[in-house]
Amino acid sequence: MRAIPVARMTLALAVVAATAACSTTSGGDAAEGGKAGGTLTVASPYPTQSLDPHGAAGAATGTQIAGQAIFSRLVRAKPDGEMIGDFATKWDVDPQATTWTFTLRDGVTFSDGSAADSADVVASIKRVVDLKGPNAANFTGIDAKADGPGKVVLSTAKPDPALLGKLTLLFITPSDVTEQSFTKPVGSGPFRVDSFTPGQTLELLPNPDYYGGAPKLDKLVMRVIPEVSARMTALKTGEIQATWGIPDDQVAQLQGDDGLTVQSVPATSVYTMWFNSGVPALAKPEVRRALWQAVDFDTIVTSLYPQTGEVSKSVLAPAVLGYSALEPPKYDAAAAKAALQAAGFDFSTKLRLQFSGADYRQFIQAVVADLNKIGVKAEAAEKESAVFLEDLLAMRWDINFQSLSTPTFDAATNLGRLYTCAAKRNGYCNPQLDTVLNEAGSISDANKRKELYAQASQIIWSDAVGMYPMSLKIAYAWRSEVHGLEPNPSYLPDFSTVTLS
Amino acid sequence: MTGAITDLAETPPVVRRRWWGFLRWWPAAVVGLYVLVALVGPLLVDYDPVATGLTDRLLPPGATTHDGGVALLGTDPLGRDIFGQVVYGARTSVTIGALTVALSALVGVTVGVVAGYFGRAVDATLSRSVDILLAFPGIVLAIIVAGLFDRSITVVVIALALTGWIPFARMTRAMALTVRDREWVAAARVMGVPRRTIVTRHVLPFVLGPVVALAATDFGLVVLAEAGLSFLGIGLPPTSVSWGQTIATGKEYLSTAWWISAFPGLVLALLVVHVGLLGDQFNSYFHRTGRRGARSTSRRGSTGRGVEGSP
Repeated sequence: MRAIPVARMTLALAVVAATAACSTTSGGDAAEGGKAGGTLTVASPYPTQSLDPHGAAGAATGTQIAGQAIFSRLVRAKPDGEMIGDFATKWDVDPQATTWTFTLRDGVTFSDGSAADSADVVASIKRVVDLKGPNAANFTGIDAKADGPGKVVLSTAKPDPALLGKLTLLFITPSDVTEQSFTKPVGSGPFRVDSFTPGQTLELLPNPDYYGGAPKLDKLVMRVIPEVSARMTALKTGEIQATWGIPDDQVAQLQGDDGLTVQSVPATSVYTMWFNSGVPALAKPEVRRALWQAVDFDTIVTSLYPQTGEVSKSVLAPAVLGYSALEPPKYDAAAAKAALQAAGFDFSTKLRLQFSGADYRQFIQAVVADLNKIGVKAEAAEKESAVFLEDLLAMRWDINFQSLSTPTFDAATNLGRLYTCAAKRNGYCNPQLDTVLNEAGSISDANKRKELYAQASQIIWSDAVGMYPMSLKIAYAWRSEVHGLEPNPSYLPDFSTVTLS
Repeated sequence: MTGAITDLAETPPVVRRRWWGFLRWWPAAVVGLYVLVALVGPLLVDYDPVATGLTDRLLPPGATTHDGGVALLGTDPLGRDIFGQVVYGARTSVTIGALTVALSALVGVTVGVVAGYFGRAVDATLSRSVDILLAFPGIVLAIIVAGLFDRSITVVVIALALTGWIPFARMTRAMALTVRDREWVAAARVMGVPRRTIVTRHVLPFVLGPVVALAATDFGLVVLAEAGLSFLGIGLPPTSVSWGQTIATGKEYLSTAWWISAFPGLVLALLVVHVGLLGDQFNSYFHRTGRRGARSTSRRGSTGRGVEGSP
């Protein structure tokens, strides 16, 4: 997965192709483990390229999944979005949501034996900001101070009610780390690093000093198998024992296998297809609404994603704070065509639908086919992820496809960040929406915020800033000897409580 | 078993030769069929690569589609007909093969003849450039070029011809080198025939036969390379049909819907094999006629190519 170097936006399910070079699988020690604590071998759909959670790879799922195993965080999110303490045991916030006080757990040590305290938290925040990685924007402007070794005070100039969500991406490292430390980093998480080959394998051992109790496993091996069919075969043969992010057509195949458990969990991702409202042809909301109406998303979603997709009812996924159900447009090609004609849409305009990632190819082609059916000249433009990102930010597209996830479970992440006039991300500018979003981003009352984000969603939805056809589920599959694996909505399963029989 | 062997042993030699005679035309007939399908197939079979029919996705060969039609070779994950993709893919493959080989041959023969006939500094410069290019893996260069630009037929043809002309140049040069010292060329030179005329009248005709043979074998490799590029997703745009793309689509479905990759793979393999056989036939044909006519010419001709003619 490529990280998008803008705040926390992650592009879920992005191309794995970049690491195609390491597609050969080396069987080996996976199978022999099985008894006692045993070795758990898993394959993540996203390669881990770096173990430095503060740097350029900080927003990549591959780095985050390694990060949560190796490091602890102040708070973390449960799969349902509830925030629970990790390194911090409790926290208080003032009513303006500008000053947060975290009380740290006593007696936490790093895996090299040194004590972890508030100085490390402050240093970690500073390092994220200094490295200017994709997560830096989350913490810029935060004044972090240690209040004795057991307390940290974070104060922000402007109210930041979504801070807790952002802190789930802050991994605490020792204060004296350098770039070289991350070949074999030291952390206070449930696991410690045994060996690491970037983009290929990460081998972890349990951390006996972990305050939550050392994991029962003898060893955890995270591998990368970029080719989907090879990954499925590896799961069936027992070469790996768990994998996730399984494409729908493979899910049915795995469900027929008795030795496997397959479970889907609603993700925080929504397929988001912005229209570039800055392009003259797409400037009118009537045109955008008609295009949305012209695509039979019901059929597309139910045929292509019977197990892992659901027609979306909002800009946001249901688990995200600020979600409110809305009514998706009814598919009607004739009405859509009539509406386009009425709005004076020029049917000779070529609409380039840009996307990145082979996983989305079928979906995009189906959308393009429906648009072509009513005479709209839509064209799929598949781009390499770096090119895609560059073009996305430079607005060189007519329709843009992304699977937008909200790892922080807070609407501020995507709505507040992407839909304001100042954001300039999709050519859409509505002062009324700006007012609502600004207010929602500056108060701490959760109920009031929910209400405001519902209003914002309604505006975005009815003005068809984009099409929001599908909310995603992530399919997990594991072999019968694996117990206690809880499917995670952000592609970040926690292995610290997993056992093998 | 023994009966069969006896039968074979007792088969009169005349019949054997007729059997062989029939086989001689086999590769040409198969390649001809592909060309025919490429030319008229799309007129008879209706297929739109952009349109999808999700209700008919992943149908096995011979299944009935929702509108009552028959999916002869099954459908892909977007409900598109595999038979249509095979037929339209033939046109793509043959077009790209022909264009690329024509471009390669044109550039290669020109460079080769100039280098071979004029010799000295010209030859040294051209030959060394060829040597340098030869050291570069052709498919890697093609991937770089195809990856840099927007996908289109032109880009694919140029990317593949980029190293495709080298064998033509090497072979032509070697032949021109020997032909220019032959008596009739020397005679023409003494009589004051202009260089251009000597090259076109007295050198080129000796080169053309082997070039045709080389073009045939090259054609197969180009078709394969195009499928390879499309398989990697850097070949043709999704609006055109390519066997490579179809095979790539099917790779995730090998255990559940084998027909997606199998049929285009099969037709691709058959085409490449038969074009290769045809090329070998050309090769041995020119080898023989060459021996009758300009002896040294043909000997050099056959060394210019890695693929030798079959006996």
